Amino acid sequence: MMIHETSYLFEDLTLDLDHLSSMLGYPGGLLPEPFNFYLEQAVSDAPSLCNIKGAWILKENMEFSGDRTLISIDGIEFGIGKTVTHELRNSSAAVFFICTAGEKISRRSQELLMSENPVLGYVFDLLGSMIVESATDELQAEIKKMAQSQGMNITNRYSPGYCKWNVADQHKLFSFFPTECCGIRLTDSALMHPIKSVSGIIGVGEQVQYRDYMCALCNQVDCILRNHHNRLK
Amino acid sequence: MEELLSKLAECVEFGKINIASPYPPQMKGQEGADEITRKALDQGVHPQDILSKGLMPGMERIGIKFRENKVFVPQVLMSAKAMSTAMIHLKPHFLSGAAKQKGTFIIGTVQGDLHDIGKNLVSMMVEGNGYNVVDLGTDVASDKFIAAIKEHPGAFVGLSALLTTTMASMEKITKDIKAALPDTVVTIGGAPVNNDFCQKIGADCYSPDPQGIVEFLNSKVA
Ligand code: B12
Repeated sequence: MMIHETSYLFEDLTLDLDHLSSMLGYPGGLLPEPFNFYLEQAVSDAPSLCNIKGAWILKENMEFSGDRTLISIDGIEFGIGKTVTHELRNSSAAVFFICTAGEKISRRSQELLMSENPVLGYVFDLLGSMIVESATDELQAEIKKMAQSQGMNITNRYSPGYCKWNVADQHKLFSFFPTECCGIRLTDSALMHPIKSVSGIIGVGEQVQYRDYMCALCNQVDCILRNHHNRLK
Repeated sequence: MEELLSKLAECVEFGKINIASPYPPQMKGQEGADEITRKALDQGVHPQDILSKGLMPGMERIGIKFRENKVFVPQVLMSAKAMSTAMIHLKPHFLSGAAKQKGTFIIGTVQGDLHDIGKNLVSMMVEGNGYNVVDLGTDVASDKFIAAIKEHPGAFVGLSALLTTTMASMEKITKDIKAALPDTVVTIGGAPVNNDFCQKIGADCYSPDPQGIVEFLNSKVA
């Protein structure tokens, strides 16, 4: 099966800077001085700090196991758990994807965090996470187009490490891609380098449904995103 | 003197580094931790009092606000920066023995894991609460922790992990440390870790936030 590789420019991405501002503790975008300048600086430096790449592969012949916690593809079993199985139900195929913002932005963030400007470093960290998430949105849009051209729909995306899907399954996921595809390396402990990287699965089929995320699906009690969502409610 | 120290605590709590720093907006143009610490030393305030009655109460207040979700990471980073700016002036007094820290805290992200923001925050908070912090960085194996403890006898240890896969490494490191140096107090934290896991691996304390660990350490040195 063919691997589709894409790269993106920072300028291609849609970033919600209000969200970033509220992650910094200032909902509504009203950042005090000098945090407002840090945000401007991070956004203006970001293009030269990014190496945004994504890749995906379509795998047909996806089988669900009887107990509704496993899927099997090319004879490889993924213990995706009940929740993700439920979200993928009715899929006839699966797309596996990987995506990264590149390494430089994390390095810049780290340098600043430990020395002269920790807050700017933290802004780069948050921005790096947003970049990879937003690039994955683009990748997902591309996958949706491919599916629609074949008369199919896609589900939302789900990642190993969430919803009781063991993060160690990333080794199986990465076995579908050539080594260091998109410049991403997986350590023995299933950590991706660069840090600002994500991996996951998207269900494809005529009958599948796209559903928005719900924090309730996840078992991470003390999550900054969940705390954040709860605060906004 | 009381007034200087309470002003200093306020600078740390609100992250006012020096007079030039525009942050926080409500303290613009005022002196910061930098100037006030120097002034206090010049006026003969004991370095120990500057630490214990000025800087530490400020750090404690921001730690509590962070735990209660009343402030976010940037505010904590500003407080830590104000604190560390003041500490530059106090360092010579720690080295000469004129002032003492409460103990040593050795922290690192466990082998196989590279996440460091959480670890850095804990490190800054513990330091700000009067401890000497030795930060071993990320991807740290048992040997390195054990060597550091030998170098700082009686030091407390903090382990950080952000993935379930690296929790196994946390377990190994805890057991290795306890086998080599049974009296060592090991504390753990990170998103996927919890109290049950802490008990299971034989660590001494788990905390979801930095303030919890500060309180635990304080109870140990009290
Ligand atoms: C932002 C984020 C990302 C970003 C950026 C990652 C990064 N680190 O830069 C992106 C989108 C890239 C990402 C990717 C992934 N992520 Co992620 N991510 C997060 C998230 C939402 C926040 C992490 C963060 O920056 N927190 C802010 C810091 C300040 O908090 P902290 O590190 O937890 O530290 C605090 C406490 O834990 C504590 N603490 C920390 N250490 C210590 C030590 C001691 C001694 C003490 C006392 C306390 C303590 O104090 C700190 C301050 O309060 C967490 C969920 C969460 N924690 O809220 C998931 C989370 C860490 N991610 C998770 C997963 C699964 C992944 C992926 C594997 C998913 C995937 N397959 O693509 C990848 C892996 C990336 C990689 N490189 O390998 C899981 C990990 C659990 C697991 N199952 O292993 C989490 C917990 C989410 C979840 N709900 O399950 N992620």
